[in-house]
Amino acid sequence: MLFLQLIADGLVNGCAIGVVAITFTYVYTTTGVFHVSHAGVFTLGGYLAWYLSKEGIPFVLCVVLAMLICAAVGAAIEKGIYEKLLKRQATPLVQLIASLGLLAVLQNLVAILFTPNVLQFESIAWRMNVLHFGPIDLTIPQVLTVLTAFAAVYGLIYFSTKTNLGRRIRAVASNRTLAEITRLKPFEVYVYVMAISSALVVLPSVFIGLDQAMQPYSSVLVLLTAVIAVISGGLGSIRGAFSASLVMGIVQNAVLIVVPGRWSIALTFTLFIVFILFRPTGLFATKIRRAS
Amino acid sequence: MKLFSVAMAAALGILCHAIPSKAQEIVLGAVLPLTGPAAQIGLEEQQGVQFATDRINADGGIRGRKVKFIFEDSQGKPDQGVLAFNRLVDLHNTPSILTAYSSISLALAPLATRKKILVVNPAAQTNKLDDASPFLVNTIPLVRDEVEVMTKYAVAKLGKKAAILYENAAAGVDVRDDFKKAFEASGGTIVADEAIEFGSTNFRASLLKIAAAKPDFVFVGMTVGYPALADQVAQIPGFPIGVGTTFLRPIVGHPAAVGWFHSGIKSGMKPEDEAAFHKQFNVKEMTFFSREYANSAQIIFKLIDDLISKNKPLTGENLKAALFEIKTFESPTAKIVFNSNTAKREVEIFRATATGRELVQASVN
Repeated sequence: MLFLQLIADGLVNGCAIGVVAITFTYVYTTTGVFHVSHAGVFTLGGYLAWYLSKEGIPFVLCVVLAMLICAAVGAAIEKGIYEKLLKRQATPLVQLIASLGLLAVLQNLVAILFTPNVLQFESIAWRMNVLHFGPIDLTIPQVLTVLTAFAAVYGLIYFSTKTNLGRRIRAVASNRTLAEITRLKPFEVYVYVMAISSALVVLPSVFIGLDQAMQPYSSVLVLLTAVIAVISGGLGSIRGAFSASLVMGIVQNAVLIVVPGRWSIALTFTLFIVFILFRPTGLFATKIRRAS
Repeated sequence: MKLFSVAMAAALGILCHAIPSKAQEIVLGAVLPLTGPAAQIGLEEQQGVQFATDRINADGGIRGRKVKFIFEDSQGKPDQGVLAFNRLVDLHNTPSILTAYSSISLALAPLATRKKILVVNPAAQTNKLDDASPFLVNTIPLVRDEVEVMTKYAVAKLGKKAAILYENAAAGVDVRDDFKKAFEASGGTIVADEAIEFGSTNFRASLLKIAAAKPDFVFVGMTVGYPALADQVAQIPGFPIGVGTTFLRPIVGHPAAVGWFHSGIKSGMKPEDEAAFHKQFNVKEMTFFSREYANSAQIIFKLIDDLISKNKPLTGENLKAALFEIKTFESPTAKIVFNSNTAKREVEIFRATATGRELVQASVN
C-alpha cells in the first residue's frame, strides 16, 4: 500500500518535471540556448495564476491568462535578449550567463511584485480534495498534473509532426543555416518556440502550487532535475525527456522504501551518473540534432 | 571675489558644523534573510528591529545620539551572510550586528572573533552557537534546552514510540540529535527518521513513511514550510500528533494541527507597544520573531547607553564587557540573564486548539 502510494506520488512528480523537461529540450534543440531562465518563467506562471485567482477570476481563466502572459514573456526574452546576442555572435557560454542573470531578475521580480513568502492558492477550496483510486489517494491537483502533462507531451509531439509550423520548427532545429537559405525565418521560429514552451511550463507550476505551495526560489531544483532528465532521455527527444522524468520521479520516491528521505536525491543522481556512463546518448536516440 | 571667499568660508563652516552632528549617529547592523525561503521570518525580524529603533529615536536617541540600523540581506545563505557582515564592518564600522539563522550565525562566528564585533543572536538555536565565538551571544535558549523540556513531557503524556521529521540544516539536525538522545535515554524508540530539504514544500513521501511506521507522535524540527506541511498532513488519515519547539508555532491554527504540542520560550510585550507595532506595520500580530528582535535591539541600546555614560568607546569588546557586567536584562518581553554566552529563559509547553493554543505546562530552563 505504502509502496504503491509512493510510486503514484513519484509518477505525479515525474509528470510535473516532465513538462519542464520537454519544454526545455524544445527550446534547447531549436535555438541552441541553454535556457536556465525557463525556471524563472516557471515561477512567474505560478505566481500570475495565484494573483489572478486571488482577484476572483475563475481558475481555468487564470491558468489560460498566465499561459498567455508567460508566452509573451518567453517571446520577449527571445526577441530582446537571445536574438540580439546571437546576431552579435555571442558564444553559448555568454548566452548561458545572460540566461542565468535573467533567472535571478525574474525570481527577484516575482518576490518584489508578489511576495518572497511561501504562497498557497487559498481561494481554491477544491485543491485539498482527495480522489481514491483503490489503495491510492491523489489530490485533484495531482490528477490534473498527470492529465495536463500527458496532454502537453502528446500535444507537442502532434504539433511538431503534423502541423506546418511544427515541421518548420523541426527544419530550423535540424539546420539553421539551411533554414535561413530556404527562407524559413529561424529567428521568427525561435520566438514561436519560446512562446510555446513558456506557455506550457505554466501548467506544472500552477498545479504544484495548487497541490503544495510556491515560493520564488524553488524552481531551480525543478529545472536541474528536468535538465538531468533531458540528458538521460537523449538530447532533443521529447519522448525521451518525458520518459526519463517519469523514471526519475518514480525512482526518487520508490527508493524511500529502503533508504531514509535524505538519501533519495543523492541515490537518484548516483543512478543517473551510472546510467549515463553506460549510455552517454541517453535513453532515446536523437532524431533532431542542431547542426552547430 | 572677496564676497565669494566669505561665502565659501561660511559654507565650509556650516559643513564642518554638520559633520560632528552626523558623526553622533550610532550605526548598527543586522544580517537577516530578507529574500529567499526564510524571507517571511526575516521581514518579521526586520520589523522588530525597526520598531525598537524608531521608538528610541522618538525618545531622543541614546543620550541624544540617534540610532540607525543598516539591514543586509543574507538570503538565508551563509556565504551571503559573510559578505553582508564584511560590508557592515568594513564600510560602516558597526560595533554590533544582529544575526539570524543557525548556519549563517555559525559562519559569522569566526569573523566576530577576528574582528571583535559583538554578534547578537535572538532566534537561531543550533547548539553549536553556545561556544561558536566569545563575541557571539544568544538571547534565547538553544535547541537542547527546549527539546529537553518537550521530550520529558512527550514521554510522560504521549508514549514511547516516536518518529522524527526534520529540516536538513543546522537547527533541524540538532533537533533530531537532541531529541533522539533524550528520548532513547528515557527508554523511547525511534521508529522513523525522515529529513526534508530546507525550503522544500513537498513532504508527502516522508509523511507517508512516518504514518506507516505508526508512532505515538512525531517530533518536528522545521523552520519554514508549515502551511504546506499542514495541508499534506490533513490528506493522510490517522497521521500521528506532532510535537516540536518554538519553530512549530506557525502551524497552530490549522485544523490538521489541533492537539499538537510545541514548546515556547516565554516572551511578551506591553499591550500598548503591541498596538503601536500593529499601527506602524499594519500586521495582525507582533510575532515571536518581531518581539525577540525588538528586545535584542533594546539590549544593544542599553549596552551602548552604559558605554556612553562611562565615556568608553563603542567597540565590540566594550559592548561584550558591558553585557556581562550588566548581566540581567529585564523587559516586558523577558527577563534575560547572561551567565554564559547563552541566555537563561523560561520554556513553556502549549497545545494547539481549534481556535489557537493553550498553555499546558510552564517550566524554568
